[in-house]
Amino acid sequence: MIKVKKGKKYFFRSTVNQRIQHIILASCVIVLVLTGMPLKFHDASWAHYLYALFGGIKVAPIVHKTAGCILMLLFGYHLIYLASNIYIGQIAPLRKNKELSVARLLKLLATQPLMPNRKDVKDMIQLFKYLLFLTDRKPEGDEFTWKNKFDYWAPFWGIPVLGISGLIMWNKEFATKFLPGEIINYALIAHSDEALLAALFLFIWHWYNVHFKTSVFPMGTVFITGYISEKLMVEDHYEHYVKIMKKAGLEHEILPPHDPYGREPANEKAFPAELHTASAGQNFQTMNPKKGDRRND
Amino acid sequence: MIKQKELNTYRYITSCSYEAINTVGVLACLLLNISLYFLVYCQNIEENLTLDCRNLRIMKLNRVYGRFLSCGVLFFSCLFFMPADSFAADIGNCLLCHKYPGLSRIGENGKFRLFYVNENVFMNSVHAKVKCEGCHTDIKKIPHDPAEKVDCLRECHITEPSSEQKFSHKEVAAFLSKSVHAKLDEKQNPKKYAEDMPNCLDCHDNPLYRPLSFFKRVRPGISEMALGRCRVCHKEDEFIFRFYNHVTTRLHTIRSPKNIAEMCGRCHDDPKVVTRHNLSTKAVYSYGETFHGKAANYLDERIPDCLDCHVNRGQSVHQMLSHKDPLSITYETNKAEICTNMECHPKATPKLANYKVHMEFDPEQSPREYYFKIFFITLTGATLLPLMGIMFLDLFRRLFPNVSVRITRRKQEDESI
Repeated sequence: MIKVKKGKKYFFRSTVNQRIQHIILASCVIVLVLTGMPLKFHDASWAHYLYALFGGIKVAPIVHKTAGCILMLLFGYHLIYLASNIYIGQIAPLRKNKELSVARLLKLLATQPLMPNRKDVKDMIQLFKYLLFLTDRKPEGDEFTWKNKFDYWAPFWGIPVLGISGLIMWNKEFATKFLPGEIINYALIAHSDEALLAALFLFIWHWYNVHFKTSVFPMGTVFITGYISEKLMVEDHYEHYVKIMKKAGLEHEILPPHDPYGREPANEKAFPAELHTASAGQNFQTMNPKKGDRRND
Repeated sequence: MIKQKELNTYRYITSCSYEAINTVGVLACLLLNISLYFLVYCQNIEENLTLDCRNLRIMKLNRVYGRFLSCGVLFFSCLFFMPADSFAADIGNCLLCHKYPGLSRIGENGKFRLFYVNENVFMNSVHAKVKCEGCHTDIKKIPHDPAEKVDCLRECHITEPSSEQKFSHKEVAAFLSKSVHAKLDEKQNPKKYAEDMPNCLDCHDNPLYRPLSFFKRVRPGISEMALGRCRVCHKEDEFIFRFYNHVTTRLHTIRSPKNIAEMCGRCHDDPKVVTRHNLSTKAVYSYGETFHGKAANYLDERIPDCLDCHVNRGQSVHQMLSHKDPLSITYETNKAEICTNMECHPKATPKLANYKVHMEFDPEQSPREYYFKIFFITLTGATLLPLMGIMFLDLFRRLFPNVSVRITRRKQEDESI
């Protein structure tokens, strides 16, 4: 769970399989947005240039449909992946021990790591307190914070909505065998509005949180390496961090919670790399004189 | 054959040089005319605003100056501008004067009018074979008095080859009078706002032969291979060229879908016309929001435009009927035929035609779609605005990391030391 490289700790975040899924998702979404938005904003001056880049009206729709198909296949694969992981890892052992009941199953599903829970509400309240300068303590997030869950469930709702409405518009002859013709109007509204929401959500909110916020800028590397740095771990997932460190038997190296004063303990400039391999106590010692000075003021 | 080629090259070079001279000439002329126009415009304003006697002299002066200038324009045109190449038979010799790009004047109502006829352009238009006198029948002598407006329903001096009768557009008028665009209703009474109904020139100019460049890539409009087949029997190149264009231009609409939509939109997107005639939609605007309209905007040639759906198959576009007319293809029970047409959606069921092409984001016109869209707009706002708020607060918080009402961190550090 913890990898040490050049004296710095990196914490496991996602498997190779998950990272490949994410890259496919990301590239498909970018292609879909680039080939879709010129149609939504067909009157804009940039639209013609962007559309021409993807081959204009004759080719860009094919690119769009191809990327959409890949995305839907990926979504199907992800559902199977998710179900099989939960079944093999959690439900099958229960069945073996004949402990499986409906209540147990529901409880199991509700306590999946990406399921929203009470702690998320608490973290959100804490975050608002922190953001409104009421407190100096950041919420101590679990492995997946409410932001991560939001980022997960948004495409989870978006892909079916966009996929189904897109399929209806694509196979309009087939769809209107069973459905009234107005369904195409609804499909168009749902498709274009949900797509705009998804694009704005991903390119503003998601990218801000993983790439552009000042502690990560210019680019987060977790989606490539699958490991998160200790500094970010402390900032966003402190509860999980403590859990992991204790599990690994490194209680004495646990860093203090994220310091909003900007004196991050894992700041490489303040602390040479060698110090990280030393005990946390020493780290704390080197930090203390500064803090002591300020306190005395 | 070689001779023909040489002749073509010679024509090309001379027409190029003429065009270069003409371009410079037109620009110079334009400048002169703009200054003239400006003068007359100022004079008109003065006439409108002040009827004061003091200005009378200035007005007179301006008028004299204006006349002098217009004479000057004509003079310069004659002096500088070589005529465009004239190969076509100009029996009435109208181009003697009308070949000059500067031939223009300010009309009685103060409007600038250009009387220049670009022969190159005219010879590539659908009326190339019609003599000037064919339409301008009131002109009998040169120089002529101000000409009347052309009436498209005149019999022009062309013989229709299949019936060997004089050609006329009268039948078009007959179609038009039966259509939704007629000025008179069934009882031959003038309709309300009959002046909004289109005349020929509201939709038509003198269109150029449209190239079939989207599948014949040799040279716009001309497939040399096809022309070669023509030459087997027909000797005269001019005839072959014109006949070829005459036929190929009619293999498709003479305008692109986008162009047609824009033409219809001149009236059907005009909010005044829409409210006056109690129409349910700004038709071209709502068409533009469908995939058809968007593809047309991206210059797709095969996408259906207004005429493809609103004209009964195989009938004249002039006989366009209201969607309330049971004979119309856009009538409630007929419209399935539009979409299931062989060339469009042959596998579709009649239900596809219930798709609201002219759906507008309007609670009265299509309430259910309106509230469906409102739901998505609300969803977008409700998701993004709070998140952006958090983002903004987060950035702001990072600007002032030391500020906080409750300071728990220091206390904790005190305890830990």
